[in-house]
Amino acid sequence: MIKLTTLALAAASTLALLGGIAQAQDKTFNIWWFEGADSAQGIAWAKALDEFKAAHPDVTVNFEQKTFAQLQQSGSMILNSNEAPDVLQYNKGNATAGLVASQGLLTNLDDYVVSQGWDKILNEGDFVLSRYDERGIYGSGPVWGIPANGEYVSAFYNIDMFEKAGLMVPTSIEEWEAAMDTFQKQGVTPLALGGVDTSGQHLLASLAYTQADDTWIQNYQGLKEPLDGAPFLYAAQKLVDWVGKGYISKDSTGMKDPDAALLFTSGKAPIYVSGTWNLGGFSATIKDFKWGQFIIPTPKYSVGSTGNLWVIPTGAKNKDLAAEWISLTLSPKYQTEMANAGGVAIAADPATITNPVGKNAVEVFKQISDKNGLGFYPDWPVPGFYDVLNQKDTGLFQGSLTAEQFVEEIKQVYDDAQANQ
Amino acid sequence: MANQGVVKSAAMGAPKPVSRRGRKQRGAVRWLVLALMLALLALTLFPFVLALINAVKTGPDYAANGPLSIPTSIQFDALAKFWDMADYSRKLLNSTLISAGVSVLAVLLSLLSAYALGIGEVRGSSVILAMLLLGTMVPQESIVYPIYYMAKAVGLYDTQLAVIIVIAVLQSAFGTYLLASVMSTFPREILEAAEIDGASRWEILINVVVPIMRPTLMVLGTFFFIWTWNEFLIPVVMLVSNDNQTVSVAMGLTRGQNLSDPILQAAASLLGIAPTVIFFLIFQRTLTRGVAAGAVK
Repeated sequence: MIKLTTLALAAASTLALLGGIAQAQDKTFNIWWFEGADSAQGIAWAKALDEFKAAHPDVTVNFEQKTFAQLQQSGSMILNSNEAPDVLQYNKGNATAGLVASQGLLTNLDDYVVSQGWDKILNEGDFVLSRYDERGIYGSGPVWGIPANGEYVSAFYNIDMFEKAGLMVPTSIEEWEAAMDTFQKQGVTPLALGGVDTSGQHLLASLAYTQADDTWIQNYQGLKEPLDGAPFLYAAQKLVDWVGKGYISKDSTGMKDPDAALLFTSGKAPIYVSGTWNLGGFSATIKDFKWGQFIIPTPKYSVGSTGNLWVIPTGAKNKDLAAEWISLTLSPKYQTEMANAGGVAIAADPATITNPVGKNAVEVFKQISDKNGLGFYPDWPVPGFYDVLNQKDTGLFQGSLTAEQFVEEIKQVYDDAQANQ
Repeated sequence: MANQGVVKSAAMGAPKPVSRRGRKQRGAVRWLVLALMLALLALTLFPFVLALINAVKTGPDYAANGPLSIPTSIQFDALAKFWDMADYSRKLLNSTLISAGVSVLAVLLSLLSAYALGIGEVRGSSVILAMLLLGTMVPQESIVYPIYYMAKAVGLYDTQLAVIIVIAVLQSAFGTYLLASVMSTFPREILEAAEIDGASRWEILINVVVPIMRPTLMVLGTFFFIWTWNEFLIPVVMLVSNDNQTVSVAMGLTRGQNLSDPILQAAASLLGIAPTVIFFLIFQRTLTRGVAAGAVK
């Protein structure tokens, strides 16, 4: 008994000691990000970090690879403690960056935006998700975070299958439907879709945004008025139509994104609608055929946004160094690095990019961003809307909801949130 | 392993003289049971096999043929990559330290409180036990914030000691309930005999109760170890630095915001379950002995 207690006490004090050693030295610079080491951002930033270390031999630079889950789960708790780093990557949006900004856990970056010249590199549209007001709602208020990359939803297509079927890249929804019809007549289900996952609602929103104008997007994302369901009705009718015509497999109702992506990468389905985060994985693993991406034909708005943000916690000890780091990731050199690793660098010069995948992605993002066409994601305006949309569009694919019922049901949730905000 | 036991016990019944027809029937039943157990075994092993075949696949192979195909070539890159990326040896050490710490502390706590509740006479002990049982059902999400603030207040945030204390207390609720139920059936004669011999309460606990309960305590400790090993929420919230984190938290490295690398995930799962399987194999005898001892009592 006594022995056991002594043992436990000894173990406890050793642990306490171990914990204590971690905090030492005065000039240390702690930096965290959660992008994977294989992702374009991870590759570019690892190189930038080497340069950063070389430029500051007197500073001990500690990098920690974090996980998205950890920061999602306990981000505000970490930022509200002494363990917060000097600079870290943080998920954009009201529920994440907006929340911690409104809690006073982030440094106001307005002065750095001017002194570091970030306003010369990024356009005003790129700052929309950097600004949060005192309630943590994006769009206005001071700048709290800086994006270094962008993302958008597009259709990935199998170039070999398109060529074999004698098809061109569609430039209108009608041409897209005609292409899918050709595949369907050949016995190929053209569209791979994760009905219970993000790609289902991203397809829905991509179609809805083709019917959207500035007012609609601003009202929708800003939760300003009860939902005008017309664009969603159009999208829902298209999807019902496509399921009926066999463009989308009935099996996709219960499918997750990885399985839908697998249908595309294995060459079974020629088209898969999803985000640019697939670029790295597809480049690395698709060896049997040529593939490309096309934007879902739209007058202005596409599903997409600027990427996650660099933020500086309020308690950071080396804020100037942190700002210097952010500038480094925005510098032409590392923007080009990111694009050459296949990423959607936010401000890279296409002329300097050698990787065709990254070059195309940067150009497309620039096109969308220059016309202010980032419509953001459909689940943003209402907390919990992600699950509502997944659930309801599954009903749509299954045939248990008509297009009208679908719009009515999402409108109810949206309008409730709108009235009670 | 389980089906071996069944086959053996079924075979032991065989030498008895039975009529031809009866033997035939019993044979059929035996085969049926065997087939059923084999099917169950296959079902149990399926996730392991899935993790194994995908962990050694190449990315293009997975992209072209999917998760169920047999790998066209075997490579251990993903395993090595995950080990490296997660600093896995460090994580193993952390998980072992935390799990062992919890299992010792939680067994100790459970033993002491169960001794009071099961053998000693505490007024309202059944109410206390019911409350403890309720305590095991409280969702961890609801207590995370209070625990976080308490840990910060005493300077234990981002230390493994905090995780050990919290999980040990949580698990000892179940441990107390279990041990107290076992102890309430403890033969009174033995306790009375010890009392007549002049043993104090401490001496009865240490010299009489603990030796008899040892197999049960070992089982409990083993379960605590494995449960703690698989614990996710409390470690992810309490352990900020990578150097303090556990195996289950490191597994999150394979899942990004929108994507996951299936091969890396398979490799991580394989590396993640391997230690518990090894631990289970080592302590398997203790476990079966402990369970059996409990049954005889």
